[in-house]
Order: sequence, then structure tokens, then C-alpha cells
Amino acid sequence: MSEVGQNWDNISKDTTYSVPADVPMSSSNTKFSAVTGSARKIKDNAADWHNLMLKWDKLNNDGFQCATNIVNMRNSQRDQQPLDDFPPAPACQTFPSAVQQQAAGAAELQDECSRLQAVVDRMVVIVAKMEHLMSVQRGIQDLEEFQFGPEGRTLPLCHSWKTQEFEESSRVLLAAFSQELKLKQVILQELAHTAVADLHMVYLSCWLHQPFIPAQTRLALEALLLETGHRSL
Amino acid sequence: QPGTMSLQGAVRRSFVALRDQRAAWRSVLEECDPLMESLGNLGEQMNALSRVRVSDTPLRAFPDLQERLQFQLLQAVDLLLQRLRDRMSCLQSIRDSVGGHVSAALQLYQDSADGLDVAVATQRSSVAPSLADMLEWLQDAERFYRRQFLQRKTLLLTLRRDDRAQLEGAAKAWRSLDSPDAEQQITGEVITHLSHEPMAGRYYIKSASPICEMD
Repeated sequence: MSEVGQNWDNISKDTTYSVPADVPMSSSNTKFSAVTGSARKIKDNAADWHNLMLKWDKLNNDGFQCATNIVNMRNSQRDQQPLDDFPPAPACQTFPSAVQQQAAGAAELQDECSRLQAVVDRMVVIVAKMEHLMSVQRGIQDLEEFQFGPEGRTLPLCHSWKTQEFEESSRVLLAAFSQELKLKQVILQELAHTAVADLHMVYLSCWLHQPFIPAQTRLALEALLLETGHRSL
Repeated sequence: QPGTMSLQGAVRRSFVALRDQRAAWRSVLEECDPLMESLGNLGEQMNALSRVRVSDTPLRAFPDLQERLQFQLLQAVDLLLQRLRDRMSCLQSIRDSVGGHVSAALQLYQDSADGLDVAVATQRSSVAPSLADMLEWLQDAERFYRRQFLQRKTLLLTLRRDDRAQLEGAAKAWRSLDSPDAEQQITGEVITHLSHEPMAGRYYIKSASPICEMD
């Protein structure tokens, strides 16, 4: 059936997202890659999501190393001397090396905490970029509503998704990473101040296993990559 | 005498196969070690999570954290168990291969048993075991791998993904199944005798050159 003929959406293009109204997309990638406008933006977005998640994973591994070191240092501090139990002055003079050791240990711990802070700072940047991707996607959605009305365009920009589904995907991904970032910020704050072994382990578990980014989130990205032609069907 | 020769050859071929299978078995077990360690560690993590009251910690800001983390840990356990099951399949293949070689050799022995001189078969010297010895070793080896496989498979089958205590102790239980002495005793003989020149016992009189060109 001929959608194009019946389509009232042959509105003139006066925006940067100029795309011939409702050109049917073929599923072959070569034709797809020649597309400009909204479809191009969506495809680039998907690639950006993928790259940001790769960067995040690397940071997560680096951060886990730092976090583990912090916990180990805390444990050895605790073994050397009870932390809130400073010896009276005369004893300090008798055992200067123990105090020096403690000072050196504290400096090392501080360094490691700084490293972890740096990791979290870079994660903040990544989430900010994700927010930007989200807003670009919303812009595409808004434009489409302007061009085609609330129902959107009749033929999909990519394989089969309605344009709104891209926005929903982005929202899910952004929510997951934002929440995970909040968790990591809490861990960063608390890790060096905890003395309880079980809680240490829970913090490390949280960092490593990323409870707010379950497998479904990865699948959402895969679906996005499939839809935008980055992965072949 | 020809019966003895081919039996000798078959036994030697079994030894060669056994040497290769022993190496393969050890290699697969080595792959299992880090998997079991990880499993134990996940058990530890689950235990720690169960002992912490999240609402008493700064993590209370995330009300669904406990279930989510538990879910991730269980998923990780599932993944490990799957990989361990794959390793078990490899061990099973090795066990079956050993069994196949041994039963082939034993079958050949039974077929030539009538023509076999018992004195010759049990003749051992300082440099060579007797045919009877070698057949016995083959059977011991087959039994060893069969038993090992059964023990390890059973251990894995009884692991429950949600039994934290069991998971935490899994690595230790796995290691306790190692019996290096028994392995050395049984298969070590085989390897030792393989590395020598083919035995120069009485039953080699017919042929001047090594019977088996392998190794």
C-alpha cells in the first residue's frame, strides 16, 4: 500500500532535520548509511551510547581496584591499631615507628581515595553526556510531533521502531546509569570511613556488580544497536 | 606369539593415550580452580549481604538495593555454574576416552588369552613390567578417573545457587577431592615406563626394533 501518497505529512522542510517525508527505510545497511537528518542523528546517538557504556565499564574496573585497595588498607590499619584508640603520649614516644607507620598508611589511603574520586568524577561526565544524548533524542521526538502530529511519522526511521521508542530506550538507559552513579558516590564517601567487614564487602559487591545496571540494560543497548543498523540482524 | 605382540602393542598404545588424557584432565582441573574460587567468593558476598541491615547503613537511600544486588549475585553464580558444567563435560569425555582405550586393551587380552603363556605374561624384570602389571595399571587408571569424575560431578550437582554457606565452602570441598598421591601412583607408573625405550623383556625376542613407533 502506498503510505506516501495518502500521507498528509508532506510538510516543507525548514529545519536542520530535513528528511524526505516518510521515505521507507530498507533494511540494507548501505542504503541506511546514506541517510541524513533525524535517522542519521539517531544512528549516531546509538553509537555514542555504546561508546559511553564501554568507557563506563573501563572506569568501573579501575574504580574497583581502588575500592579494593582502600578496603585492604583499612583492614591492615585496623589490625595494626584500633583506629579510635590512640595511645597516650608516653606510649607514642616509646613506639614512634608505629605512629609513623600509621601516618604513612593514612597518606596511602588518602591517595587511593583521591584516585577513586577521580574515577567517580569521570563517571559524572559520562552521565552528563548521556543526559545530552537524551535531550537530543527528545528534540528529534519533538520535531517529529511538530512535523507529523502526535501520532508521529507513519513509516519508521530505522527498521521498525516508532521514534518514541528511541526516547524511551534512552530514558531507561539514562535512569539506570544515573542511579548507579548515585550509588557509587555514596560508596566513595563511606568506604574509607567504615570499619565493619561485612559492610565493606557489600560496598565492594555494589561497586562491582552494579545493581542498577542489570543485564536487561545491556540488552536495551543491544536492541538499540540492532535497530539503528550498527549490528546486523 | 603374534597374539602377544599385538597385545603388547595395544597396551603400549593405551599407555600413550593415558598419558595424553592425564595431561588433558589436569588442564581442565586447572581451569576449574579459578571458577571454584570465584564461586566461593560469591558465597562470601551473599553471606555478607545477608548479615548487613541495609536500612542501618548509608545505603538506606536505595530501598530496593538489597534485592537488586542479590539478583546480580545469583546471576553471577548461575554463570559460573554453567561454565563449570561445561568443564564437567570435558572431564566426562576424558573419562570415556580412557575407558575406551582400557576396554579395548582388555578385550584384546581376552581374545588372545588362550594362546597366552601365563609365565610370559607375568614375567617382569628390573627394567620392564609384566604384561599383567600393565593391564592392572590400565584398570586402576580407568577406575581412578571414573571415581574422580563421579565425585566432582556429584559435588557440583549438590551446589544450590541460593545456599550461601555451601557456596562459600565449595572451593575447599573441591580441593579436597584432589588426590595427587593416588594419581601419581596409578598413572605415574605408566608415564615412567613410557618414557623408557620399549621394554626389552623376553617377549620382545621376535622383534629387534621397537614395537611401537610412537613416542
